[in-house]
Amino acid sequence: MNLKFIAAHSWLTGAGSLKSTWMYMISSMGFPLSLLFIVGVLSDGALLPYALVGGLVSVVATNGITTMADLGMFKFEYMYKDLIVTSKASPIDYMLGVMLADLFWSLPAIAIYFILDIAFGILTPYAFVMSILVSVLVLLSTASLGFVLTSLVKHQRFVWAITGMLSLAMMVFPPTFYPYKYLPHSVLLILSISPTTPAAVLMQGFFGLAPTLWYMLYILIGETILLFLIAKYLTVWRER
Amino acid sequence: MIEVKKLTKRYSDGTTALQNVSFKLDKKITSVIGRNGAGKTTLIRILSSQLAPTSGKAFVEGIDVVEEPNAVRKIAVSIPQEAKPIDYLTPFDAVRLYLSARGIGLHASRKEAGDALKKVGLWEARNKVAYELSGGMKRKVFVAMAIAADAEVVFLDEPTTGLDPFSRVEVWAAIKAIKGQVILTTHYMEEAQALSDEVLMIESGKTLAQGSVKQLLKPFSGLIRVESQNKRHRSYRIGGTWVSYVKKADVNSFVEKGDIIKPVTLDDLFIKRGVNLES
Repeated sequence: MNLKFIAAHSWLTGAGSLKSTWMYMISSMGFPLSLLFIVGVLSDGALLPYALVGGLVSVVATNGITTMADLGMFKFEYMYKDLIVTSKASPIDYMLGVMLADLFWSLPAIAIYFILDIAFGILTPYAFVMSILVSVLVLLSTASLGFVLTSLVKHQRFVWAITGMLSLAMMVFPPTFYPYKYLPHSVLLILSISPTTPAAVLMQGFFGLAPTLWYMLYILIGETILLFLIAKYLTVWRER
Repeated sequence: MIEVKKLTKRYSDGTTALQNVSFKLDKKITSVIGRNGAGKTTLIRILSSQLAPTSGKAFVEGIDVVEEPNAVRKIAVSIPQEAKPIDYLTPFDAVRLYLSARGIGLHASRKEAGDALKKVGLWEARNKVAYELSGGMKRKVFVAMAIAADAEVVFLDEPTTGLDPFSRVEVWAAIKAIKGQVILTTHYMEEAQALSDEVLMIESGKTLAQGSVKQLLKPFSGLIRVESQNKRHRSYRIGGTWVSYVKKADVNSFVEKGDIIKPVTLDDLFIKRGVNLES
């Protein structure tokens, strides 16, 4: 494993790029913050804690899906992937570098959500630790999904379209901004195909807003492993 | 040294990009020339282990590209056609990022990156983000990567495509600063003539000729190229123009009003073989 590349890529294109692309980071928060506002107003504040907890999942997932846009740029625009094939970096190094870069890039937005959680008095040390775990799993799974889809598309313009559709499907339908109890159990299971569903359900449990459905953790871990393995399989260094 | 034995590449859509190609390249700078779609990029991608051939063998410094791709990747650099530096990175960071992929840490690579940027004339612009650089400067960032990597073999796929003549000359100078063996593809014949110790001509997936510029142009010794709008005796058609090769002593008696006289270049090798470079 080329740790030097993983560290360099994640630092330079993640944390380092915040300086020049901070506006994108703020725009990635626009959607969850807007929903937070609408849910808060419409429910007269009753569902605000759900929207706060779901907002964190949403921000992390949005940045995970945005990996697809980054990967598209690396593959089609910069030819960066082709450049580093002829080096000591492996496909796994590339995947981990890109995922870590997105984690670095997401940190300010994640921090803002934790600050809001503290301000509204819903953050406990337990919820903090568990939400970090869930955030890492959401980032890994959504970023892996990004790798899978990028390997299947032939042009950058498809990447933008898919990113938009995925954001909608993974953020609005799953119970990220409303209590999971509103959904029949069968629907909840169907929606669990999106990693944001088990993540949101778990977060609502960890923050004491609803009973914790532990089997959702297994679903989330299983989806993360499966998506990562498919992404690894499809991220080829040598084309046929 | 590069050695290719009976290399064939057939894509899944049925296109044959390379047909039973064999050659050896051992000169300092070799240009692979040919028109668009001739098979140059396919060849470079196979040699740099990015693409699997359908059949045949290829060796880079004696290492089998098909059997030991990771070993080839350690000693070679490949700069893809139309590669661009990541918009928000500076040349300094872009070179260091590439060196990290080659196993050198960000801190340790500062000297190599700085030295390489000085060699290609980008030291002053080292802290500008890429989107502020000109096209020529962006291409030179990649040449700086190749220099800093100090690789044994460097593949450059059309390193100057789309650049203005001045920028191209600057990139040529940077390419000459690369220490290892350089294999570059181009469809600019003057680029091949200016840079190469050896030229490999490819057309429709087959090698047409190989040798130094001097050797390849030997059949044209003492000849001048005359371009006419009308067909002449033993002339070759390129688009709407007819090209004839005339002895220098006969030029005055041959040339008609409107004809254009040019020195012979590598273009003429393709023209004489009936390859329409404009098609």
